[in-house]
Amino acid sequence: MAAPRQARSIIGPAGLMPVAVSVFLALLMLLPLGSGVAGYATPHLVMISCFYWLSWRPLLMPYGACMLLGLFLDLWLGVPLGVNIVMLLLTRLFVLNQLKYYKGKNRGVYWVVFGVMAFGLFLIAWLIMSAVAGSLLPVDTVFLQWLVTSFFYAPIAFVLGRLRRWIL
Amino acid sequence: MGALSPTFQTTGVSGRGARFRRATRGRDAFWLYMVIALVLLALEIFGSGVPRQIRGYANDLAAPVLALLKEPIDAAQAGLERVAGVGDIYLENEELRDENGRLRQWREAAQRLILENERLRQILKVPQREIPPLATASVIGVGGGAFERSVLINSGTNENVAANLPVVDELGLIGRTIEVGFLTARVLLITDLNSRVPVRMERTGDVAIAEGLNEAFMRLRFLPVDGVVQVGDRVVTSGHGGLYPPDVPVALVTGIEDDFIQLTPLSKLEALDFVRVMDYRPLPPEQPSEDPAQNGGGSN
Repeated sequence: MAAPRQARSIIGPAGLMPVAVSVFLALLMLLPLGSGVAGYATPHLVMISCFYWLSWRPLLMPYGACMLLGLFLDLWLGVPLGVNIVMLLLTRLFVLNQLKYYKGKNRGVYWVVFGVMAFGLFLIAWLIMSAVAGSLLPVDTVFLQWLVTSFFYAPIAFVLGRLRRWIL
Repeated sequence: MGALSPTFQTTGVSGRGARFRRATRGRDAFWLYMVIALVLLALEIFGSGVPRQIRGYANDLAAPVLALLKEPIDAAQAGLERVAGVGDIYLENEELRDENGRLRQWREAAQRLILENERLRQILKVPQREIPPLATASVIGVGGGAFERSVLINSGTNENVAANLPVVDELGLIGRTIEVGFLTARVLLITDLNSRVPVRMERTGDVAIAEGLNEAFMRLRFLPVDGVVQVGDRVVTSGHGGLYPPDVPVALVTGIEDDFIQLTPLSKLEALDFVRVMDYRPLPPEQPSEDPAQNGGGSN
């Protein structure tokens, strides 16, 4: 049963869902939610989405899609071009190399793996941004965003999981 | 790629070759896109950056969807505020009545002062200092994540908005426009790390610089050595540098610790809704070729 469903989902328009959902989440990241915490520490929803889809349907989130998502995120967020591209390309590289170690484990393991990966990616992003700014940027806001992103992985992954079972 | 190798081992020779080719293509794609990303970053680091116009038009693409998504969020927030406010409505009504009475007295005083001010200006032939609003816009997006502080407003060149115009809300300065598209403009907030606003202490007249820190508060720097500052002092724009008009309220001094003077912005940066772009252009329009170091967002 699983093989035909996988084949159908890759070929049909439903196969575009992971990228479409990620674009929607990118737009959601831009919305002014009217709270100080939301404004200063929005979870990186696109990173969560990419990690989730790469863990469950890696073929539906190719490098090109990661590149385009990163590009639009950089343009929309107003950050230097390349920051989110690098983060999302590295997300795919990480998942494809490490999936064999955590595939099939319980959700808690996925959550921990995501948290570890996100920590590394935010660290890289902080280094890149510091290089662009020409001085070391404060780490507390980046640390807060990592915490918020890691925390939000579980609820977002739950919703994406419902969506995956429903459509793909 | 590594993830493909488990399946790679279970297939036959032809399947193995196909998967190897696919993996190689994947690795090639990774490096190709990574090189593109690094080139873009190098351009940002070494000053060329991406033209602001491209960023502005990319924001135009997102604007209609953001405006659509914002509707239910606004409705939900209004509903929550209504529900939360029902219990306090009696007390709030009392407070508003008192405030209304006080404001009426202030209004009469202000009208007298405006007339007097105008007469004196005419006598002394001093030019008008009121800055007309160019556009009233709604905040449709926030940007920057952990690294930058900016918002997206739904006014662009369609309403004659240009780069480097000051933006205010009803309480004070918010920032200035940096990337302008046809339908949208990005406003660099005064709390952004790249923001430097020339300011003046309202009480003493000392000039200084209000510096953004990517936090909810700012820092006051370059105050004169003999400058006296107290918690509660109000800080307004000095007008130096030509980007901001003078006397626009910016922040309050909320903390002094050694040489760190903390400022809290007067404007509601954490919950912006409607803002006003001011038609203040004392400087000639920015040339794309000059000072490329500021293309990526720039400093105030």
